[in-house]
Amino acid sequence: MATLNTGQSSEDMFTVVKSTSNTLAPRLGRLTLPGRNAIETPHYIGLTSRGVVPHLSQDNYASLTSIQGVYTPLEDFIERKVPPLYLFKPPDGSSRLRRFTALPDKSLLVLGARRTPPVIAPPATSNTNDSIAVSTLVGFKLLKAEEYAESVEKLGADIVIGLGDIPYGRALGSKRIVKATDRSIEWLQDHVARRKRNAGQAGFEGQGKLFAPLIPLSCAKQQFYIDTLAEELQNDVAGLAIYSSVTLEDLPDEIAHLPRLDLTEVATPRAVLRQIANGVDVITMPFVSVVTDAGIALDFTFPGPKQIPPTPLSLGIDLWTTSHATDLSPLREGCTCYACTDHHRAYLQHLLAAKEMLGWVLLQIHNHHVIDQFFAAIRSSIAAGTFEKDIDTFTRCYEPELPEKTGQGPRVRGYQFRSEGPGEAKKNPTAFNTYDSSGVETPVAPDASEDAGDLEGKGFAEKDG
Amino acid sequence: MPSHDPMPPPGTSALRYELLAKCSTTRARAATLHLTHGPVPLPIFMPVATQASLKGLTPKQLEETGCRLCLNNTYHLGLKPGQKTLDAIGGAHKLQGWEHNILTDSGGFQMVSLLQLAQVTEEGVRFLSPHDKSPMLLTPEHSISLQNSIGSDIIMQLDDVIATTSPDHARITSATARSIRWLDRCIAAHRNPSTQALFCIIQGGLSLPLRRQCTQEMLARNTPGIAIGGLSGGEAKSSFCAVVSAVTELLPETKPRYVMGVGFPDDLVVSVALGADMFDCVWPTRTARFGNAVTARGTLNLRHQSFAEDFRPIEAGCGCVCCRAPAEGGLGVTRAFVFHTAAKETAGAHLLSVHNVWFLLGLMGRVREAVVRDVFPGFLRGYFAEMYGGDKGRYPEWAVEALRGVGVDLMVDE
Repeated sequence: MATLNTGQSSEDMFTVVKSTSNTLAPRLGRLTLPGRNAIETPHYIGLTSRGVVPHLSQDNYASLTSIQGVYTPLEDFIERKVPPLYLFKPPDGSSRLRRFTALPDKSLLVLGARRTPPVIAPPATSNTNDSIAVSTLVGFKLLKAEEYAESVEKLGADIVIGLGDIPYGRALGSKRIVKATDRSIEWLQDHVARRKRNAGQAGFEGQGKLFAPLIPLSCAKQQFYIDTLAEELQNDVAGLAIYSSVTLEDLPDEIAHLPRLDLTEVATPRAVLRQIANGVDVITMPFVSVVTDAGIALDFTFPGPKQIPPTPLSLGIDLWTTSHATDLSPLREGCTCYACTDHHRAYLQHLLAAKEMLGWVLLQIHNHHVIDQFFAAIRSSIAAGTFEKDIDTFTRCYEPELPEKTGQGPRVRGYQFRSEGPGEAKKNPTAFNTYDSSGVETPVAPDASEDAGDLEGKGFAEKDG
Repeated sequence: MPSHDPMPPPGTSALRYELLAKCSTTRARAATLHLTHGPVPLPIFMPVATQASLKGLTPKQLEETGCRLCLNNTYHLGLKPGQKTLDAIGGAHKLQGWEHNILTDSGGFQMVSLLQLAQVTEEGVRFLSPHDKSPMLLTPEHSISLQNSIGSDIIMQLDDVIATTSPDHARITSATARSIRWLDRCIAAHRNPSTQALFCIIQGGLSLPLRRQCTQEMLARNTPGIAIGGLSGGEAKSSFCAVVSAVTELLPETKPRYVMGVGFPDDLVVSVALGADMFDCVWPTRTARFGNAVTARGTLNLRHQSFAEDFRPIEAGCGCVCCRAPAEGGLGVTRAFVFHTAAKETAGAHLLSVHNVWFLLGLMGRVREAVVRDVFPGFLRGYFAEMYGGDKGRYPEWAVEALRGVGVDLMVDE
């Protein structure tokens, strides 16, 4: 494996193909990392939980989706005293994190500290001068900046996001801003120094590109930090991680050539468009898995149907709706994803109603496919110079928000939310009750909500007498 | 969209059993079973896709494990999505996008569970609707009608299932007699004999005379296939073997024999030696969801701490997509990664389900090959030696005993 020189400029990794202005304008680019698919930007990358895009086993990820890359948080791997990932030495000498999570070779692998969105740390566990609070499988803990800088470089991610003092879920006062800036500069300087020391050493063969995390503030409010990136660290930082849309508003020319990775937790397709219109190159979209878990199949194109509809269209189809029960049409007319070509709405309706895991697998495949098409159309629109007009069309064609969840999602796990204290409602409905029998199988009894007429109607049994 | 329409060549029946080889020592047989949705190799393990889905696997993934015949559960589908929906969709193949064969159970097994609120009578099972408490009746005709709507390639008669461990011999005798009478009703009710093969289910508890009597009665009804039911309910393994052996002894060579609810590797290889061909069990996929990997050296609980840093494949040399190295087109999944995801992300369970189903189908494939080459006794010795690390003291007594009965003594080296 080629050793990457940390001192090399980022130009060969990221090329801006088309741009009208350095700030607040959409741009086309190409992100090329050694051995990976070249990614035409703007594009998205998938979000992983414990190393996998939720619901997608890696064989399905590889064969049934076109997801070009993933963002993986280190906090998903460090619950044990000595994280097993750190001990793993793949027999073929390739990336530890990639092999451990069985991510296909062609996929871009981006490593950061925290999930997006992260579970917000309780005030008692806040960031300190030398560490940040992370949420692991077994609870919150402090991750030291030096441990992060040292460990991530050995894991073989293509892109590593430096550790920033990102105050998730909190507004910053002016003193705290100074602190966050100072910490982020210091951590990044230290990280860069370590990279230089370790470059070429055994165990550090797969050093990735380093992205600097910007504090979720305007650039003016973190001027020292921006200056450091533009001057002292200009040869060491290959890209920017963006945590707030305000940061894009006054991004100075000196760092405008760097690729921008959006971790602002966009919640809707409209928000995606806004971020891209403001110059984001690669974006992460937590709403895709949220929509999947809600049993909703995304159903939109960019900029929208040829004729603007009289009333805005829904962005998705709720497959919990029982009217789909005998509908053999694809989730979305004309869609070429596996879920739409090999299956139909009736099956999805059945799988959701029966709480079969495959329902969410198929939805995840479909929803990512819709997003693929969305981004392809966005790039065409920018190339054609019609992006602004097309956003306007999209805004008139579709509702602003995604449909509300009506059915039940898959089981929620402890590491996906923070307990808010005693008396909290259950996150999952009770699936099983005590069964006072030596029977070896869960009884297949009709739902308590079904009366005899329903059962007879379904052909399950007939009314007796 | 793949085509799912069953189209048997005109004039053929729903099932043709093609015997390829017989073991010259044991009763094991190798065959090809020709069904409406294509041929399947026997002996075979059939994974259970209870509600028209194999626990998170896409039909494509299931196909890639080599599976060509899987189970659906009649009464689960009867409740969801229901017969009307199945009729509107055009059956379970269309519902789940599965181009290969499906077998549906009788629903009789579920009756054991329904019995909590039900009573078995000659007409059928009477129970109270849990919602409005109105009395309802579920009959053999319902079972067949539902299975006709499902369109499964193999359907099972409704039987009166009693736990083999029941001490009530009179009840077992009457249930056996009732199962025979219900078979007649099922045959009469069956609308699609040219596309769906109906299997009888031999009952009789653990009583060998009763089993033999039931076998004779049911053979007289000449169904295309024969199932041995009512086992795998917690009876002693030696009793299980005695029943299988007593029944297969009486069965014609020309029909497939299905032992219901069997899925542990030891049980499978012994049952094949006793002359059975087809098996189903939820165990491999259920145990996968608990983080257990089935291997030739036993079951590994990959949720155990000892696997946290175990970077070996789930099973070395396994050809499933999880275990194969990336250089061989596989995922190269390690035990440590399964530990990392098991019971945390469902994808971890999906990976183990793929492995476990692959393992059991592969095991049956190796059994078949050994029978074809007439080296099955040697295969059995090798199998048990690997499973128990060469320690004969750990071989299960019931298996040693059962295999002795068909001419293979595991305790004596060849």
